[in-house]
Amino acid sequence: MKILVINCGSSSIKYQLFDMEDESVLASGLVEKIGSDSAIIKHQVPDKDEKVVTGEILDHRAGLNRVLALLMSKEDGVIQSAEEVKAVGHRVVHGGEYFSGSVIITSEVRQAIRKTIDLAPLHNPPNLLGIDAAQNQLPHAVHVAVFDTAFHQTMPEYAYMYPLPRVLYYKHKIRRYGFHGTSHKYVSLRAADFLQRPLEELKIVSCHIGNGASITAIQNGKSVDTSMGMTPLEGLMMGTRCGDIDPAIVPYVIAKEELTLAEVKSMMNKHSGLLGVSGLSGDMREVTEAMFNGDTAAKLAIDMYVYRLKKMIGAYIAAMNGIDVLVFTAGVGENASLIRQRVCEGLTFFGIELDKEKNAERSKEERRISREDSKVEVLVIPTNEELMIARETKALVESF
Amino acid sequence: MADIQHIVVIGGGTMGQGIAELTASKGFQTTLLEKSNELAQQAYHHIEVSLDKKLSKWGITPAEKKSTLSRLEVTIDREILRQADFVIESVYEDLETKKEVFDTCDQLCRPDVILASNTSTLSLTEIAAATRRPDKVIGLHFVHPVPKIPLVEVVRGLKTSQQTVDAVVNLLPQLELEGIEVYESPGFVTTRLIVLLINEALYTLMEGVASAEDIDRAMKIGYQFKAGPLEMADRFGLDSVLAAMERLFREFGDSKYRPAPLLKKMVRAGHLGVKTGEGFFRYDEDGDRIDQEEGRS
Repeated sequence: MKILVINCGSSSIKYQLFDMEDESVLASGLVEKIGSDSAIIKHQVPDKDEKVVTGEILDHRAGLNRVLALLMSKEDGVIQSAEEVKAVGHRVVHGGEYFSGSVIITSEVRQAIRKTIDLAPLHNPPNLLGIDAAQNQLPHAVHVAVFDTAFHQTMPEYAYMYPLPRVLYYKHKIRRYGFHGTSHKYVSLRAADFLQRPLEELKIVSCHIGNGASITAIQNGKSVDTSMGMTPLEGLMMGTRCGDIDPAIVPYVIAKEELTLAEVKSMMNKHSGLLGVSGLSGDMREVTEAMFNGDTAAKLAIDMYVYRLKKMIGAYIAAMNGIDVLVFTAGVGENASLIRQRVCEGLTFFGIELDKEKNAERSKEERRISREDSKVEVLVIPTNEELMIARETKALVESF
Repeated sequence: MADIQHIVVIGGGTMGQGIAELTASKGFQTTLLEKSNELAQQAYHHIEVSLDKKLSKWGITPAEKKSTLSRLEVTIDREILRQADFVIESVYEDLETKKEVFDTCDQLCRPDVILASNTSTLSLTEIAAATRRPDKVIGLHFVHPVPKIPLVEVVRGLKTSQQTVDAVVNLLPQLELEGIEVYESPGFVTTRLIVLLINEALYTLMEGVASAEDIDRAMKIGYQFKAGPLEMADRFGLDSVLAAMERLFREFGDSKYRPAPLLKKMVRAGHLGVKTGEGFFRYDEDGDRIDQEEGRS
């Protein structure tokens, strides 16, 4: 069964075509600058050179049409006809409280995604555009929505509520939702498989640390708490996002610096985190390099980053009253051995013992980086949200 | 009507700069058309300064500044109008000048292109009469400072078609603007109410009721204004306020619109507000107050 996975931004489409017989990737790519006459498609077929096409693409429909043409083209084609694509898995950022799992897209589902726009004004509208475009271009296929928030719908009420007047929850659905759910779910499944232990018996803390970062406590295969909240701004210090701060700072800064709401939002989302503290960059590699070159601001940024990460892991160990597995994933989690080492160094009290040599090895494989005698398994598991979306889609199509 | 991608803003004064900055920052290819190279360069420079200010206030990132500027061009070549998908005129508030500009637009723009005017007090119907497409002429009255105030008055002239209104209303979300629909009337809602308030503040100052600083403080603290009426006047430009008052006075013929003598006096003295560094208060080159505490009275 061939499944197309798409992830739409306001002016972009990321796509990957899977052959689910062996879960291989037939082609993948990215359409950028949709809405302009200089749109770019980067199309990759494994073991072939990347193909770059530019031209006018005015909307998502046209963009997807071009992608399908590439998938079926003579020289780079991997399928004969569009009908071969049996299903399309759509990444949808916010499912609100409507969805605790992936669903086949019906008009009711679209309605519910639309109702959630207020909670994800930047993400859900382009996700809907993608659904429209794909349903239009691939009317024969089954379309499935996979939500970033769905995995966290198992959080208990005391974990997802904010200590604010409860009426705000009833009126505006203000609560914690969490994000990166597809990734947290994927790595927890992989962790159990890697360790050959039943997921239901494991207490897992999974750290998805990339540009955005979140930690999830997973017990019995279910998310019981996660660090991102109503929006992806809560929780850890990130590349350019501040994460948890005293909320009273917001009105104070607005008054002192005479900022507008848009400015203070932009400050917290795009000018804070590693970038804001180091004054250099939001990219962990660049900040690490600066630290090694003696930059004190870069050192402070990394000290804070590690400290906040460690504290949050400790909190989630407390939330589950224990931990069996600590998982690192996403850009920083998979590649920054220094960050992993420094975080784990402060968690030996819980029986987390890192194997420094294994930790320092660079690899794209799933691997254990804890010592043989460590009470807690520490794993690095490269995330694969697209594959997870494809699997969820396949499962729904088969039960359809 | 074709998809709007390229917007031409005519006139690079305070409002024109703000409008061009807004359209470019929201992803539209934008060309600012001016009369002379010097004015065009000046406008470009001011937009850069405005973006730098936003950057320093964390409102945008360096990448966002760069991408906004990459979509912005200034020119003195009117032929650019042939490539426009949408035109916003923001030249000096004078009927003859505007009519000339609209006549030029009408000759050069594709027949389907909507021509919008940022006029605050002039008759849109009269401006539209200078073209052969009065149904496609509409008012878009922005509020200063344009990149910060998400409000625009969508003004129907007598002949503006519903299709044109719809097209403009559809464009607003892309510019992240809230629109209110108004019918042609001098000053519409915003200008009519605000210049009257400013004028009354001037009488209050003239009569020695309170100092300039205290008048502004009263309205800021008492009614949650971001800036008091006198600072607002300085920021709009006292000459623009005077022009608006005179226009309202002439159009309505009601003495309540009579410009305060102090306003005329200050304009004659060349104290026009922020743009000359001095009005009711004093300002540095970036337009920041430099006499925050003492204030003239």
